[in-house]
Amino acid sequence: MDAMDSSAGLPEKPLFIPVILGTPRKGRSSEHVANFVAAQVAARPEAGTELIDVRALSLPASDEGEAIKDPAFSATMMRADALILVVPEYNHGYPGMLKHALDSNLKEYIHKAVGIVGVSAGPWGGTRVIENLLPVMRELGLVTIFWDGNFPHAQKTFDKDTGALLEPAHVRRLEKFVNELVWMAKVLRYGRENVAIE
Amino acid sequence: MAQREKLKCPGCGGEMNLHAEKVDYSKALADPQSMDAEFGGALEEFHTCPRCKLTVERPATD
Repeated sequence: MDAMDSSAGLPEKPLFIPVILGTPRKGRSSEHVANFVAAQVAARPEAGTELIDVRALSLPASDEGEAIKDPAFSATMMRADALILVVPEYNHGYPGMLKHALDSNLKEYIHKAVGIVGVSAGPWGGTRVIENLLPVMRELGLVTIFWDGNFPHAQKTFDKDTGALLEPAHVRRLEKFVNELVWMAKVLRYGRENVAIE
Repeated sequence: MAQREKLKCPGCGGEMNLHAEKVDYSKALADPQSMDAEFGGALEEFHTCPRCKLTVERPATD
């Protein structure tokens, strides 16, 4: 039996929160954002993470949906307690490759928490792509949180050569976002493992 | 989050649970002093009493 957290009555098993870098585009600014987000999650004692690059997934374009599962990706999604999507805004929408990858699973997502980090070259920080993704998350069985990550002017926010963060305020903002995601992930894990549907 | 001060419930005196922080944009509009520049609104904490279910909002203490 797992040790219990006396303050919440919940198991202390570390959470697994993979970060999905949602675009394969060459020269993507989102890569720096995803590396930063993954490092912030990895630094937390209650969570482990893994960075998943949609560019590296083995998903053919000749079919769609669960018929084209990448077994390693599906296994990682199955093991996850929550997801973080790092998503650039392309023409006000999300990259097709991200949707292609997300659609290859379903049962792997049910009652798991998801947080979305929007990335843009302009001033809005991916707010429109986040709004566009919410109904997709709901249909996949994921549970969204009320915090988002927003990285406007991404090309100026990180050193383009080293990837170092140039705007320290993002550390505190992301901490609040991850705090809420961790809370939701703990609650949902408890629910998946202990609360039966009537 | 769990290590911060536990509020006493103003309704029943029980110990409340700090379960969320959220940006309250309306509060910052009404009270510009409450604005946290890094978030663009007032950063608030939400405490709920497990006994009487009362929820209390107050400025974040981080």
